[in-house]
Amino acid sequence: MKKYICPICGYVYDEEKEGIKFDDLPDDWKCPLCGAPKNLFKAEAIEVVVSEEDDEEELREMNYGEISALCSSLARGCEKQYLEEESKLFTKLANYYKSKSEIKESSSFEELVSKINNDLETNYQKARSVASEKEDRGALRVITWGEKVTMILKSLLEQYKNDKDFIKNTKVYVCDICGFIYVGDEKPEICPVCKVPSFKLLEVERGA
Amino acid sequence: MSEVRAVRNLRICSKDCLCLYVCPTGATDTETGQIDFSKCIGCGACSKACPSGAISMVPYQYPKQQTKDDLVIAKLNKLIQSKVEQEQMAEYIYKNSNDSIEKQLAKAIIRANRLMTEDLYREAGFMLPQSKNTKDFLKNLLQQTKDETLKKDIEKLIDLLDFNE
Ligand code: SF4
Ligand code: SF4
Ligand SMILES: [Zn+2]
Ligand SMILES: [Zn+2]
Repeated sequence: MKKYICPICGYVYDEEKEGIKFDDLPDDWKCPLCGAPKNLFKAEAIEVVVSEEDDEEELREMNYGEISALCSSLARGCEKQYLEEESKLFTKLANYYKSKSEIKESSSFEELVSKINNDLETNYQKARSVASEKEDRGALRVITWGEKVTMILKSLLEQYKNDKDFIKNTKVYVCDICGFIYVGDEKPEICPVCKVPSFKLLEVERGA
Repeated sequence: MSEVRAVRNLRICSKDCLCLYVCPTGATDTETGQIDFSKCIGCGACSKACPSGAISMVPYQYPKQQTKDDLVIAKLNKLIQSKVEQEQMAEYIYKNSNDSIEKQLAKAIIRANRLMTEDLYREAGFMLPQSKNTKDFLKNLLQQTKDETLKKDIEKLIDLLDFNE
């Protein structure tokens, strides 16, 4: 008998208590708390240790997309301190640099998935091992949240590939704090990743 | 001048209690619902009286940005770079699709990536808009741009922000 854990919200599926083997659950079974699909669940954790290799990161200029994101991040920082004018100015900068940033030509969801896989298999692992070694709690926090959100992105794109209409008759929400995407009729009471109350989960409307 | 001032969380405030009564200066008594911080002397009476925990005392000056390890920043930057690219890829899909469901999903992905990037930047040394990192970043932008209106906005920001180092 094993336990399986939801990597998004931490829900534990205990085979012993449930009386049904995890493998015997239907493929479309979902986490009862956060809706994460069955294939994301992992058998009770075995720590993954990533070997430390120091690839030198070359110093490079920020590109326009990055400048835009930093400005919108600072706009939020100002907003939290009730600095309205400063926040507006940062938002203006963010929009300006976003309009200048190039768009990746001919991108597809497939290419997006391969980037996501690279994040999950490499970038998050490396960042986590460095952040734990340096005991940077803030960095560990952002890595944990981001990794969960990225896993959900991946599974949504997989579901979309299998059935393009899987969101047709339901709703899509994005957590305005951590970026978690929730697909379902009723949003959860709190964000399963960052635990913010549901009013921060904003609906993404479907255009005409 | 006091080191702190009161701010009210309008989402929590029930607008019918004691903060108005206890405030010695009338700073809580405004049309907008926000506390008038030109009148607030930072005594904290309102915050203690509030039954809903809707008033916090926030500092005028925030502490300095904690120094971050270079290697941690490098790894976070790697993630930032990847998320920004993903936002741009999703942007392309959004702009070139005629399918309303595909567009909706792309929009959610754009938003999710932007939020993750913003969060990564906070932990990569830009938690506080008043930090030296932000100041250096803005000064750099100012040097690079030739756009006159943009220059004015950046200068205004540098002027408004109360940099703490
Ligand atoms: S901190 Fe004191 S002066 Fe400021 S709003 Fe509250 S009660 Fe009034
Ligand atoms: S005491 Fe608190 S809840 Fe009541 S009006 Fe003042 S801020 Fe609002
Ligand atoms: Zn879950
Ligand atoms: Zn969240």
